[in-house]
Amino acid sequence: MGSATNVPDSSVSAGNGVGIDCRSVTAGYLGSRVLHQISFRITEPSIYVVLGPNGAGKTTLFRTLAGILRPYEGEVYIGGEPVDRQSSRDRLHYLTHMDGLPDGLSVREALEFFARAEGAQARDVDRVLDQLEIRDLSAKFPSQLSAGQRKRVSIARVFLRERSIYLLDEPTANLDPKVARETRELILKLSREKIVLYSSHNLFEAREIGRYVLVIKSGQISRFDRIENVRGSRYILGIRVLQPSPALGAYDHEGEYYLRELSGPEEVPAVLRELMAQGVQIREAREMENPLEDLFT
Amino acid sequence: MLGITVRRASVTGRFFLVYGTAISLLLGCLLAYFSGPSFASSYPLFVPIFGVVGSMGGLTVFTSDRTKGVLEYLIAYGYSPRRLFADVLLTTLVLVSIVVGIGVSVSLGVYFAEGHTVTSTLTIGMGVYAVPMAFACAAFASTVGVYWTTLSSPRQGINSPVGLIPFIGILPALVTLFAITAIALSGPVSTTTLLLILGSGTGLVAIVVIVLLVSMGRLLRRERFLSPA
Repeated sequence: MGSATNVPDSSVSAGNGVGIDCRSVTAGYLGSRVLHQISFRITEPSIYVVLGPNGAGKTTLFRTLAGILRPYEGEVYIGGEPVDRQSSRDRLHYLTHMDGLPDGLSVREALEFFARAEGAQARDVDRVLDQLEIRDLSAKFPSQLSAGQRKRVSIARVFLRERSIYLLDEPTANLDPKVARETRELILKLSREKIVLYSSHNLFEAREIGRYVLVIKSGQISRFDRIENVRGSRYILGIRVLQPSPALGAYDHEGEYYLRELSGPEEVPAVLRELMAQGVQIREAREMENPLEDLFT
Repeated sequence: MLGITVRRASVTGRFFLVYGTAISLLLGCLLAYFSGPSFASSYPLFVPIFGVVGSMGGLTVFTSDRTKGVLEYLIAYGYSPRRLFADVLLTTLVLVSIVVGIGVSVSLGVYFAEGHTVTSTLTIGMGVYAVPMAFACAAFASTVGVYWTTLSSPRQGINSPVGLIPFIGILPALVTLFAITAIALSGPVSTTTLLLILGSGTGLVAIVVIVLLVSMGRLLRRERFLSPA
């Protein structure tokens, strides 16, 4: 198992499983280039969080990997075959950031429509209706669903057939925190032992689910690494107290917060216990600076 | 897939379908009942218009699928843009056959029930002009509509492709009629000339549609089928 950082030519690979091989890909829209000479190789089943600010090229990367956009330069191979081949398409699932639910069809009919489009069976529709707990929505139309319900139905489509690679473009975007968490847990449960590329611009989400992080900045991969290698760089804990205390003498100040740099979040409980043992009345403790933010700057 | 698309087009474009069929029926029955033999020369002129209007559901579904990101999924499954367009085209032709089939058959039924017989004017009007031109115009409308939709940003209402395409769709029929009128102004038009003009009009439209279908891969990049949202 090897990993590399500061690519252009990154690779994370293990075994000889079906994977993604992106070779010097330049792609974009109507001649305008968004991705520039991107290269990476993934063969180890795991969750890879594709991080980047808005406009960095995450969606363009997913569309190129899914074979929707044709690269201007370079090649994409899925399972060792060019992505243009149907056999490659049959190895992956792609969830766009849009719900993509057709007009004029109920939830069940929409899932049947997509099942037919990708060669799944009617029983697969019943399976995903149960798996995603949306059977009670079967007869409803997209316009009658909440944003969270629509997203759930949209995700259900991805699990109509089992694939080895899942490309999930911001699956929790525009969802409230509770629904986002449920959606995330659902995706993780259903996509075990798969290669999952999961795009997000939510840094906390990346840390919660990802094993690897692939950072895109201005259409290039700026980092491809295990998430713990990124996480350990800097962690600032902010503590707000009811009354100032001499125990906080060594802490820096920022507004109402006393700041302390830790090596990681795992040190937080010990620090708080120590302060409370010294009589400090803690009102709030929070992470002041996310180490992944450095990746975007 | 075609069956589902036709059903969706019938639902989302139900206003067009009902309107096109209803007006075609109403006008056809009124002309057959009240105007006598002149039905044979007047009703065929209107049939392509109803065909175009009634079949807009195909383009409505395409426009909606593009905006909502459905086409993106289908392309990811391996559907080519040409295949997507072929679905729209076939859906349109099925809808035209519903509108024209109901309108023409019922109107002719009323016409024959009134004691009229088959004449060469009726045969040429219906068989060479009305029905083929209705299919050709609808195919032309959906082809231009697909190109227009994919080349432009989404708009709603009368300024959208769906709002304007019926006016463009009937152009081939109007051009053909103007050609006949222009020739008629300079003297009597023989049956052979009439057949030649009517056949050429329909054939030309069919050729344009086929060329645009075949060239779709080259003329429209895949990213044109993605939602601009």
